[in-house]
Amino acid sequence: MSLESPESSQETFTHKVEFELNGSPERHSVPTSTTVLDLLRNSCSKQGVRASCERSVCGACTVLVDDLPVAACSTFAFDIDGARVETVEGLAAQDGTLSAQQQAFRECGGFQCGFCTSGMLMVTTALLRQNPQPDREEIRDWISSNTCRCTGYEMILESVERAAELAGAKQQDQAPE
Amino acid sequence: MALTRQHPEAVIAAGCSDLVAQFREGLEPEVLISIQRIRELRAISNEDGLLRIGSLVSHAEGSRSPEILSSVPALAAAWGSIATVRIRYRGTLGGNLLARRYRYEMPVILSALGAQMQFQGGDIAALPVSSLWDPDPGNVGILTAVTIDTPSLLWFGYERSMRPLSTVSLTVRKNPQAGLTVTAVCGSEYRQPFVLSHTAEATAITELDPAFVGEVLAAQLPDEAGDYSGSIDYRRHLVGVLCRRLLAEATGNQRKGSQP
Ligand SMILES: Cc1cc2nc3c(=O)[nH]c(=O)nc-3n(C[C@H](O)[C@H](O)[C@H](O)COP(=O)(O)OP(=O)(O)OC[C@H]3O[C@@H](n4cnc5c(N)ncnc54)[C@H](O)[C@@H]3O)c2cc1C
Ligand code: FES
Ligand code: FES
Repeated sequence: MSLESPESSQETFTHKVEFELNGSPERHSVPTSTTVLDLLRNSCSKQGVRASCERSVCGACTVLVDDLPVAACSTFAFDIDGARVETVEGLAAQDGTLSAQQQAFRECGGFQCGFCTSGMLMVTTALLRQNPQPDREEIRDWISSNTCRCTGYEMILESVERAAELAGAKQQDQAPE
Repeated sequence: MALTRQHPEAVIAAGCSDLVAQFREGLEPEVLISIQRIRELRAISNEDGLLRIGSLVSHAEGSRSPEILSSVPALAAAWGSIATVRIRYRGTLGGNLLARRYRYEMPVILSALGAQMQFQGGDIAALPVSSLWDPDPGNVGILTAVTIDTPSLLWFGYERSMRPLSTVSLTVRKNPQAGLTVTAVCGSEYRQPFVLSHTAEATAITELDPAFVGEVLAAQLPDEAGDYSGSIDYRRHLVGVLCRRLLAEATGNQRKGSQP
């Protein structure tokens, strides 16, 4: 952000923010203090982005910005100008086929109430993009950044391992002979 | 930099991971200057024995930097051990230091390394990281980088296993004339980090006695280092143990900046 870029309206600066959301272009005008969480939930109807601690601690609001997991609650909207943003709504295919991560969490019982699940799925997505075959220690490190109050981390850990297997198998299927 | 001179009251925004918390705590700045897109602030270099780390380097980048891994690998390891995955990608070195929160770890890690903060756009050009807790130095402008002298550095290690009670970072440096200086910095959740130092006549790290030096360093902790989570007696004991543990590593392995 530069001081030249915002527009002043009734003492509130607004910023034009253009970004790609789950593959589609978005254009909004936001006050400086708007967070990505506010923007995604209130203006883009992405309710899969949960609001909980609103302090970067619990991970319920995790979205991917240019492939990296960030806390939407603690990122200003002006900072995602020009970025590629992904939420849990973008994981399944157009025809409803679940992604490898979603399929794995379903198979392994990686959720109970589901409140933390969208954040867990996005953390898993980022991890598998960086390392398609993470070991237990690395998975533990990544999922420990998100709070789950009811499932127990063992089943989530198994879900991430299974997601890696499913994603690997999918890639092999798609590889040219 | 012209903007910070024009608006000395402006709040600088980097990764904003702490700033959003400050907003929630009541901060209402008139002017916010985001430095996110200044690419130069992301550079890391190591020339003529001076390691220079840009203030916008994130925790993830710092812990993987080839320049840091080749010059002070234990700094990369210590840096990579802090926070959570989201914060490691978003939080920056500058934000960790200039948030000036006792519980943040880079001030502890970098004070022991004798690091200097370089500023532009304010009234001050440079300050040691260890001076972060001195009375407010006024308009510092933008922190551009942190620099660390590496030629005299023999060993560095960081202990955070007892966090938030006590953390300790420790360096052994060769003195210009003779002898070695051991510097330990003790951090905790509720008190500013304290710098402890001991000069020994030794010519090699292996000559240092970990138990003796650990005790000498811990005894320097002032009474105000005691806090809600531990009395001063307990803290001195704990810091003594952690210093001894680090020094045992140091004396057993003399490789510069080796893994703690
Ligand atoms: C859940 C969670 C866990 C965490 N765990 C740890 C941990 O284990 N260990 C640890 O050490 N830290 C931890 N942190 C803190 C984290 O490291 C800091 O929030 C982060 O480094 C701040 O960087 P930032 O770029 O987001 O700073 P910002 O939020 O952008 O800025 C923070 C402050 O620094 C000032 N500032 C930033 N950059 C500059 C600059 N270049 N020049 C002048 N002023 C500047 C800002 O004005 C502001 O006052 C944690 C934080 C969270 C939310
Ligand atoms: S709501 Fe964002 S991390 Fe908890
Ligand atoms: S499934 Fe309920 S909080 Fe994780």
